Amino acid sequence: MEEWFLIEYDESFPEDTDLFREGVMDSFGYVQLHRFLEREFNIRFSPEEMTGNLLVSLTRIRECVAQKLAAARAGGASSPP
Amino acid sequence: MCGIVGFLAPGRDPGAFPDTILRMLGAIAHRGPDGVGCLVDDGCAIGVARLSIIDIALGTQPMSDSTGRYWLCYNGEVYNYQELRAELELKGRTFRTRSDTEVVLQSWIEWGEACFGKFNGGFAFAIYDRETGTLVLARDQFGKRPLFYRQRDGEFLFASEMKAFLHYPGFAFEQDPQQLSAILAQWTPLPDQTGFTGIASLPMGEWLKVTADGLTRQRYASLTFEDGPSVGSEDEAIALIRERLRASVVLRLRSDVDVGVYLSGGLDSAIVARLTADMTRRPLSTFSITFEDPQFDESPEQLELAARLETRHTPLRITPADISRHFPEAIFHAEVPAFRSAFVPMFLLSKRTQEAGIKVVLSGEGADEAFLGYDLFKETLLRTNWRKLDDEERRCQLAKLYPHLDHYGPQNIAAITGLYQQFSEERMPGLFSHELRFQNGRFSARLIRSPGDPFGPIAQLVRQNPAFAGLTPVQKAQWLEYQTLLPGYLLSTQGDRMSMAHGVENRCPFLDKSVFELAAAVNLRFDDGFEEKRLLRRAFQDYLPTSIIEKRKFPYRAPDAAAFAASPSDYLELVLSDAELAKLPFLDRKFARALTAKVLSQNAAEVSTKENQSFIFLLSIALLRRSFVDRGGVCRVSAPRHVKCIDMRQRSDLAANYASQGNLSSVV
Repeated sequence: MEEWFLIEYDESFPEDTDLFREGVMDSFGYVQLHRFLEREFNIRFSPEEMTGNLLVSLTRIRECVAQKLAAARAGGASSPP
Repeated sequence: MCGIVGFLAPGRDPGAFPDTILRMLGAIAHRGPDGVGCLVDDGCAIGVARLSIIDIALGTQPMSDSTGRYWLCYNGEVYNYQELRAELELKGRTFRTRSDTEVVLQSWIEWGEACFGKFNGGFAFAIYDRETGTLVLARDQFGKRPLFYRQRDGEFLFASEMKAFLHYPGFAFEQDPQQLSAILAQWTPLPDQTGFTGIASLPMGEWLKVTADGLTRQRYASLTFEDGPSVGSEDEAIALIRERLRASVVLRLRSDVDVGVYLSGGLDSAIVARLTADMTRRPLSTFSITFEDPQFDESPEQLELAARLETRHTPLRITPADISRHFPEAIFHAEVPAFRSAFVPMFLLSKRTQEAGIKVVLSGEGADEAFLGYDLFKETLLRTNWRKLDDEERRCQLAKLYPHLDHYGPQNIAAITGLYQQFSEERMPGLFSHELRFQNGRFSARLIRSPGDPFGPIAQLVRQNPAFAGLTPVQKAQWLEYQTLLPGYLLSTQGDRMSMAHGVENRCPFLDKSVFELAAAVNLRFDDGFEEKRLLRRAFQDYLPTSIIEKRKFPYRAPDAAAFAASPSDYLELVLSDAELAKLPFLDRKFARALTAKVLSQNAAEVSTKENQSFIFLLSIALLRRSFVDRGGVCRVSAPRHVKCIDMRQRSDLAANYASQGNLSSVV
C-alpha cells in the first residue's frame, strides 16, 4: 500500500485514515486496489461489497479481507462473485 | 495583439526609465515582434510591444488623445470596435486612425468605466492620465489576455507577462507555497493567483485604478446564466446557435492580415473552420497537432475536414522527444505550474503557424464550457441524482461517462459504482461538482510540505459570489470551469502564452457573450445532458462530416511523464537530485522523490492520472524556480526593434524639455 500510493503510515497518517478524504485514492487506484486484492487473496468482491464503502482505509481493507478469508475457510469457498 | 508593460515609481529618478521600460519590453518582445513603443514621464513609464493586425501603419502605441492627456497601452482586440466607433462619432468624437486602439481610448474618455461592459473581445490594457497621474488597468470578461501587477513600497508594476518584471531594478521572484498548494489542488491558478509572492493577476472582468491614494479593484462583468433569449423550441435553439456563432466568427475575422484556424479534429474547431471557410475568399490555412500514438491522435478527422473544406492544411507531428526537449521553454512562457504536458505541442504549433506567415488563428476554446461538452457536467448530473437512481440506472450512466478511460470499462463498473457512492453527497460546500477532480488535486498538493488548506481560497471565492448559491449544480460546475480551468490553463498556459510565444494571436468565437448567453438559455432544456453538446451537433450536422458530428468528446492530451521517461533530458536533474530539490524548501522532498522514481520507471499504463499530473506540476515548479527565482535556464531578453519612445520627463537631467504634446524619438 505504501509503495503503491506513495504514503507512509505513522502517527500523523494512521492506518484508519480515510484514503479518499486524504487524496490518496482516485478512481484508477480504487479499481487497481480491488483487482489486486482479488488476485492476491483469491477472493471476489460482490457488487454490493464494492458499493458498500468497504475499502476506504487500510484498517477497513484488512478487516474486510480477513472476514472474507475466514468465511472462505469456514465455507470452503470464497464469497459469491 | 501585443504585450504591455509599465510602472509607477514616483520616488525613483526617471533617468533610468527608458532603459528599464525597454528591457521589460524586450522580455516580452515575442508578443509584439513588429516594434515597440513607450512613454516615459516623471514617475511613470509605459510601453507596448506591438503585433500589427488592424491599421498596421497608423495603430502605433502608446496612443494618446488629441490633448496628450490620456495614453493607452493596449493588448488584444475589441471586435465590435466599428460599431462603437459609429456610436462615438454620433457623439461628436473624431478619429485619426482606423484602429480599435483609438476606439478603446475614446471610449474611456467618453464613457469612463462604463466603457468596459461595451467591449466584446479579448483585451488587457492600461490608460495613463498625465494630468492626474492615475493609472487604469482593465481585462476582458473571459480572461483571454493576461495582465499581472505588483504593488509594493509605493511602486506599481504591470505587464502582460511576469517575465518582464525580471528586468525591473531590484525585483526578486519568490515562489509562494500557499498559492502553489492551491494551484496543485485545484489544477490551475484562481483568477488572481500567480504562484509568486506579491504578484497578482488582474481577474477577468475586473479593472483597477491606481492613484496617489492607493489601489482600488472593481468587477465590471460577471458570469450570469439568465441574460439569454427566450427560446421556445429546439428548432429555434438550433437556428439561433448557427446565427450567433456565425456572427461571432464574422466579428473575429476583422483583421488586416490572413486568419487561420487550429483544427483539433473535434466538433468545436470544425464548426469554427466551416464558418470561417464560408466567409473567406482565399483558401483557409488550417493547422493541427498529430501524434504517432493513436490514443492521442485525431489525424483522420483533421484530414477529412481539411479535405472537405479544401484548406491549406499543415499537420505537425509531435513525438515524446519534442515534449521533453521543449518543456522548459514552454513552461517559461506559461509562467505558472502546469498539470499536463499538452501545452508543449501548442507551443510548437504556434511556431509552425508563424513560419507559415499566419498571425491570427481561430480555435474552438470555450465551446465545452458553454454547451456542456465536458464529462464533468454529466458526472455532476449523475452524482446529483445518485440517490434517486437504482443500481442498474447508475451503472448504465456511469458506463457512458468516461468511455476513453479503460478503468471505467464494464469489467470495473462495480468498483467505479462503489467509488461514486463515496462522492454522492457534498463534502466541500459549493464545490460538489469538482470533488472527484479535486481528489487528484489533493494528491498533488502533497508535494507541498505544509499545504495548509489548499481549497481555502476557492471556497472563499465561491462564498464571495452572492449569486453562486442560487445556481443549479451544473451551472455551479460551469461557473467553476469559467474561473479555473478555462482562464487558468486553456486560455493561458495552453492558449495565449503558447501562441504569443511566437507572435500568433488566438481568437475564440465560442467566447462571445452572446454565444454564452444563448447556450445558458438552451442547455438541458431539450435533453438530459448525457449526449454532450447535442444541440451544437444538431445545429451543424448538415455542414460537417458525419465522422465529426458523431464523434464523442476526445480530450486533447499528450504523453505526460512517459515522454520524459522515454526521452530524458539533462534538466530532469532538477527533480532527481537532492541538492536541486533542496532549493525548493517548501517541498515534501520524500514524496517528490518517490513520485519521480515511480513515474519515470513504471510502464505508462501503470501511472495514474494524478501521478502524471503531480509529476508535471513538480517539474514545472522546479523549472519556474530556475528561470524566475534563480534567473537561469531560458531567461532571456530580445533587443527591441523599431523603437519609438515618447519622452515627457521634466525632472531628469537626461530628459529633453519637450512640450506637453511630447515628441517621438528613438532612444536606443
